Amino acid sequence: MSNSDPIKTGLRVHNLVIGYQQPLTSALNFSVGPGEILVIVGQSGCGKSTLLSTLAGVIQPLDGGIFLDEQNLSGVPIHKRSIGLVFQDPLLFPHLSLIDNIGYSLRVSGQSKDASRARATELLEWVGLSEIAGQKTWQLSGGQAGRVALARAIAAQPAVLLLDEPYSALDSPTRLRLLADVKDLVTREGIPTIHVTHDHSEAEMLATSIVTL
Amino acid sequence: MLALVTVPFVLPTVVVALGFRSLFGNAIPNGLLLVVLAHAYINIAVVIRLVGAQWSTLDQRMEVTASTLGASPLRVFVSVTLPALRNSIVLAASVVFIFCFSSLGIVVVLGDGSGTRTLEQVLLRSTSVLLDFPTALAAALLQLTIVSLVFVISARISRNEPRAKVVFERVVVRGAKPTFIVALTCLVATIFVLGPAASIFWASISSTSGPTLQWWVDLVSVENTRIGSPLAALGRSLGLASVTAVIAAILGGAIAIAVMSKKAIISTLAIIPLGVSAVTLGLGILLAFSRGTFDLRATGALIPITHALIAIPIVVAVATPSLRNVDPRQYFVALSLGAAPLRAWWTAFGAVFSGVMAAAGGLAAAVSLGEFGAATLLSRADSPTVPVQIERLLSKPGESAFATAGVLSVILIVLTMSLLLIVDRIASRKVFT
Repeated sequence: MSNSDPIKTGLRVHNLVIGYQQPLTSALNFSVGPGEILVIVGQSGCGKSTLLSTLAGVIQPLDGGIFLDEQNLSGVPIHKRSIGLVFQDPLLFPHLSLIDNIGYSLRVSGQSKDASRARATELLEWVGLSEIAGQKTWQLSGGQAGRVALARAIAAQPAVLLLDEPYSALDSPTRLRLLADVKDLVTREGIPTIHVTHDHSEAEMLATSIVTL
Repeated sequence: MLALVTVPFVLPTVVVALGFRSLFGNAIPNGLLLVVLAHAYINIAVVIRLVGAQWSTLDQRMEVTASTLGASPLRVFVSVTLPALRNSIVLAASVVFIFCFSSLGIVVVLGDGSGTRTLEQVLLRSTSVLLDFPTALAAALLQLTIVSLVFVISARISRNEPRAKVVFERVVVRGAKPTFIVALTCLVATIFVLGPAASIFWASISSTSGPTLQWWVDLVSVENTRIGSPLAALGRSLGLASVTAVIAAILGGAIAIAVMSKKAIISTLAIIPLGVSAVTLGLGILLAFSRGTFDLRATGALIPITHALIAIPIVVAVATPSLRNVDPRQYFVALSLGAAPLRAWWTAFGAVFSGVMAAAGGLAAAVSLGEFGAATLLSRADSPTVPVQIERLLSKPGESAFATAGVLSVILIVLTMSLLLIVDRIASRKVFT
């Protein structure tokens, strides 16, 4: 998959069975198109995070298929799937500056340092943090780190964005403000998004459609 | 596998040296290459323990995140994993440097004389052969300065960055290719670790005419070595190890209690011997206890005192975490139930403390059994310890001397490993966890 390919039909899951050795769920079928937000809700331990890890390629499915723009992702390694994944924790690379964190995917794809930094600076401004560009990653508040993590994922121009309960460790007003930003962004950019949460009110706020595990 | 790769680190250095000489024979002559290989063999455990400990707690989601951003596995390793391991790599490199810098046994046995002569050898020769104490002191000061510099540089390079507290369950490797790579790595590591030890064992049961137990039978013979009885050396080493165990357990235990009480300066003082070579420590002890009423040279106490000093940092490192694991509120509960302060302390900490002291004593005895540098400096010509005896045997020509050194090495390996297994059993008791 190429990061610059325009998104056509989005992500489709067919008879997908997830788990480590035993199935965690029955066969799953759903799809998410450009600009849509599919919210997956369920109790702790029901397999929400495992599902996202499977879609990203971290874990192999026990059965079924994952299709991105109707291309079967079976056997495609994580770094070639063009699927962005944002975890509950921001997981910023501590040895890199904020700008280099955001521009990481651009450097990896072969862009020059200047070009990647210029784009990263734009994205940092977009998430409203340009005034703290010189800070270290560990000096950021939870909300600021969450915004940087989102900017980093967006910089890669993912074909699909997976959000694994991001910002759930933050206070409620900050979390809701960030989620509103996410909704605005993925709708505007047309990025198919799968969001995992155990909070039904959050699901209703974001969702184009909801799947309950 | 972790326990297996730790074996080289706990083997006496002269035993490792004998293993390498026996393994490579004439294929690799004595010299720099063999000295470096043997040091790599001993210190591989340091790197695996220090770097592996940090690696095993890295949040794997960081690597997954880099992958989802388009980084290939190699790129992830170089740009995310390695920087995250930087502190432990720097620490491991500095510890290995210091161990190698102050190493003696391997250089003496596997070196080629002037080409591989080290500062430690200059120090030993100035003290024990030339009796040139000013040169010895200058060498010791130079050594201390360089070790201190390494510590300072290491601390400067290491960054004090906060790390994520979350430990993510690492993905279990599955599939034929990864399993093959892991199996191959384990096989190579096993051969690398066990090769020298197996070679020593073979040397002890073989001769030019084939397998034999003659060298074991001849162990009781004084004449076969012309440099003293191997059995007497064994008895001497066991005696010194026992005294060392008692001194180290008492002093180390007292220091551990003080460290537990948050006396940071004591904690710092206790680890100083780690950065000082055994010969330098021996020289210090020799100078301190060689005059007036403190002249202990004739008592035979200098070696166990030096060995205890070498072992104390290890004892403190083992004892302090276990003692800190005890809930101090138990002490106050005992006090509230009417126990006197000493009784209350023993009620709260006694079970752990006694076990810790037993484990610490065992560790100190293991250190003493294999220690070579200080023993070479402080032991009399007619009363060597086992490692000193092994080195002397290796400097003699003939199959008999080499094989007897092999027999003594096998015994030393068995004794050291037995002690460490006992320590491990004590340390893994439920009361410690």
